[in-house]
Amino acid sequence: MTRIILILLAVAASIVFLWPTYKDYSYRKHLSVLTGKDSSAYLEQNRDDMLAARSKRIKLGLDLQGGMRVVLEVDIIQLLDDLAKNKDDNFNAIIKEIRAESSTNEFPIIAALAKKFQDRGIRMSRYYGNIRDDDSKIIKNLEDESDKGVDRAIEIVRNRVDQYGVSEPTIQKQGGKRVIVELPGVKDENEVSELLRGTAKLEFKMVKDPAITYKVMDAIDKFLAGKTEGDSALAANTAGETDTVKQKPKDALSELTGGQAPTAQDTSKRAQFLREHPFFTYVSPDQRGSGDGYVEPKNKERVTRLLEREEVKKILPPDFEFIWSAKAEQFRDGSKFYRLTAVKSTPELTGGVITNARASIDPEDSRPVVNMEMNSEGSRDWARITGANIGKRIAIIMDNSCFSSPVVQSKISGGRSRITGMDTPSEARLLEIVLKAGALPAPVTIIERRSVGPSLGEDSIHAGLTSTMLAFILTALFMVIYYKNAGVVADFALLFLVLFTLGVMAAFQATLTLPGIAALVLSIGVAVDTNVLVYERIREELEGGKTLRAAIDAGYKKAFTAIFDSNVTTLLTATVLYQFGTGPIQGFALTLIIGVLASLFSGLVITHVIFNIMTERGWNPKFE
Amino acid sequence: MWYAISSVMVLVGIVSVVFKGIEYGIDFRGGTELVIGFSSKVAVSDIRVALDKVGLGKSEIKSYGSDENNLLIRTVEQGEGTTISDKIKLTLQQSFPNVTFEVLKENRIGPKVGKELRLDALYAVLCSFIAVLIYIAFRFRYTYGLGAVIATVHDVFTTFGFLSILNGLVPGVNLEISQEVIAAFLTLIGLSVNDTVVIFDRIRENEKVHRSLSLSEVMNKSLNETLSRTIITSGTIFLVLLILIIFGGEVNRGFAFTMAFGIVTGTYSSIYVASAFVLDWSIHVQKKKIS
Repeated sequence: MTRIILILLAVAASIVFLWPTYKDYSYRKHLSVLTGKDSSAYLEQNRDDMLAARSKRIKLGLDLQGGMRVVLEVDIIQLLDDLAKNKDDNFNAIIKEIRAESSTNEFPIIAALAKKFQDRGIRMSRYYGNIRDDDSKIIKNLEDESDKGVDRAIEIVRNRVDQYGVSEPTIQKQGGKRVIVELPGVKDENEVSELLRGTAKLEFKMVKDPAITYKVMDAIDKFLAGKTEGDSALAANTAGETDTVKQKPKDALSELTGGQAPTAQDTSKRAQFLREHPFFTYVSPDQRGSGDGYVEPKNKERVTRLLEREEVKKILPPDFEFIWSAKAEQFRDGSKFYRLTAVKSTPELTGGVITNARASIDPEDSRPVVNMEMNSEGSRDWARITGANIGKRIAIIMDNSCFSSPVVQSKISGGRSRITGMDTPSEARLLEIVLKAGALPAPVTIIERRSVGPSLGEDSIHAGLTSTMLAFILTALFMVIYYKNAGVVADFALLFLVLFTLGVMAAFQATLTLPGIAALVLSIGVAVDTNVLVYERIREELEGGKTLRAAIDAGYKKAFTAIFDSNVTTLLTATVLYQFGTGPIQGFALTLIIGVLASLFSGLVITHVIFNIMTERGWNPKFE
Repeated sequence: MWYAISSVMVLVGIVSVVFKGIEYGIDFRGGTELVIGFSSKVAVSDIRVALDKVGLGKSEIKSYGSDENNLLIRTVEQGEGTTISDKIKLTLQQSFPNVTFEVLKENRIGPKVGKELRLDALYAVLCSFIAVLIYIAFRFRYTYGLGAVIATVHDVFTTFGFLSILNGLVPGVNLEISQEVIAAFLTLIGLSVNDTVVIFDRIRENEKVHRSLSLSEVMNKSLNETLSRTIITSGTIFLVLLILIIFGGEVNRGFAFTMAFGIVTGTYSSIYVASAFVLDWSIHVQKKKIS
């Protein structure tokens, strides 16, 4: 008797848990038929109910809903780089080595860094913490900083995602430095990638004096043209390694010209200019004397690569770097170009001082703009900086791209500033979100990104439903044909199996994925096994001469060990799979586990109860 | 005799894996993968020419699923963020202005992730074997545990070989090693052991009841008694997998195919390999004890 109550409870519970899914489905269907005023009226009436149903329905995986899944990795190396002080060549070399090694291998960064310092006999306190701190203390501090950094990054990502407005996002920490972000229903992947990727590292850097900038450009130009013994003091930086350096211009040069290098015979004016002034061929200095260089979009990549070369970097004076404009600008004749600006590497002010940002449209030129406010310390500094540099340019740099570099007109004491240079209002909005939610403590790279379009998601749901129904019908048919009315009982058990599995998943808010549906289908096949084992046993007992009732009981009893052992092994491997897999595979493992457990319940308990009821009433099941 | 057949099958599988190789899905190799639904059929060769211009000519381009207009483009090139997939999309837009397309699915896996997943998959498979071995040894005898594991290892190897052999030969079915396929292997280990366990359970019971019979007679008896159950269960699961292959959607197809083949070998190995091994090993052990 208690078993019957238990079964009824389980059935009732499953229905209760699955009800919201049905309601959500019927609401959506209803809404899709209504239009305009009717639909908003309907929404208003049933809003709370609909939200409740939506939140309690079976969670669908991204592969069924459509959406995006991104795994972010916090760049701990950059964090360590930023935390260090008194950086010198040694330090930079070590950082470079670690970065190269970690691009292909996974290892704990801080420990590796410590080891490298130890190997070279350098105390870590030279770059971190106090002079008296020993290495182990510094290592612990760094690890704390790194953990805090990752947690802050997660908070910031969460903030940004919330502001962007995604329904039911999932953000989870994985391991020491990874964050898994799942965004169902997201359609514009590029926007989301932009949202998640940037450090939102905002920096204000002084633009270098045009005279100095031109000298540097000239030095690079001469270097590439092979005239390393230039009289410019800047070129003297390379004097120490003239031999190796002499060979390098060819490499750097070929990198720059990349297949466009003129042959020796070519004497056209263009080829002549290219030979004499390789740098200026691609980077045109601003005729108005700002010190900036203009580069055609098609040449941006090669110039970038050139500027990253060691031998070229050596030509740059200390605290000097080139920054690209974030966007391509346009000449009056419509041709596009990227602006290369020379700035002081050390920022005057960073984004940490920004307290508020607001996207709007500039009333003067109707272009998008983001207005920013600073905290009191930032305002003070800003006032000092602007006051001391009237007439000079300050570059506003976001993630190492320059948005604008206006001339300081006057001292700004209210702590206000603005970023211009965006193309569309949505860009401005993205920037606002990113500034408000905060700068990420370290750059974050997207190491994995998967997205499923909504139409594929719908197709997948269809495929899932079709295969489940077909599997159910065919198996049910087979059971009836082979086992006759005992088979019908088994079919009831199958029905309960599906109901329970889905019910448990809804109750625990587990996610149903497409492989998960495969697991459900598989469970149907496995559930049959339980029934078959029992029925075959019952047949044997009947042949052995037992009464129907006794045979049934004996059959269940004797078959139990086999059923138990075989299902446990399936559960074991499914658990291993759950640990190993990600996303959809975990969904598969979880659904399989639940399905197997449910099949045990329905196959062993429910069918037995039904048989008992049947034999009591005299409806004798046959087991031939 | 059965050992000979099994050994041949495993060997053929190994040879194929070594020489023809297996195709790793993007999960394990890293790179970028796009599934594009075109509004009208576009020739693979045309796409390759277009991609070649931007340095992506070595990408894999093949059909995806049963719809002719859906193509899968995959490359192992690594780029910063989404640059590679943007490049591909831009190239497609520019080269085929008369055709519209929709990105159905997109995956981008960094290089480290691919490597990690490969290791994880290996660990997972090993873990399963060990877990199964321990459990069976615990519930039955140690020899039985060994027999079950050998049968299962045989299944995994032959199925792996089967995937390698058939990859590319069956139209519309993608037999690359993806996470779903690994899931299939792990589930297979669990299910294949099911069969073996049921037979072992019967052997265990018959041993107690029919003490006068020799081990090989007991085994024979048990095998015969459980035969109908084994066939029915394997048959139903196979049927269900067939449904998945046909109707279950592209994602599940590789999984279902792998499992279907695995079930067949699993049944075979449960009947012929597992018990035979246990028998021979027991005889071997007994002989050693005597001498």
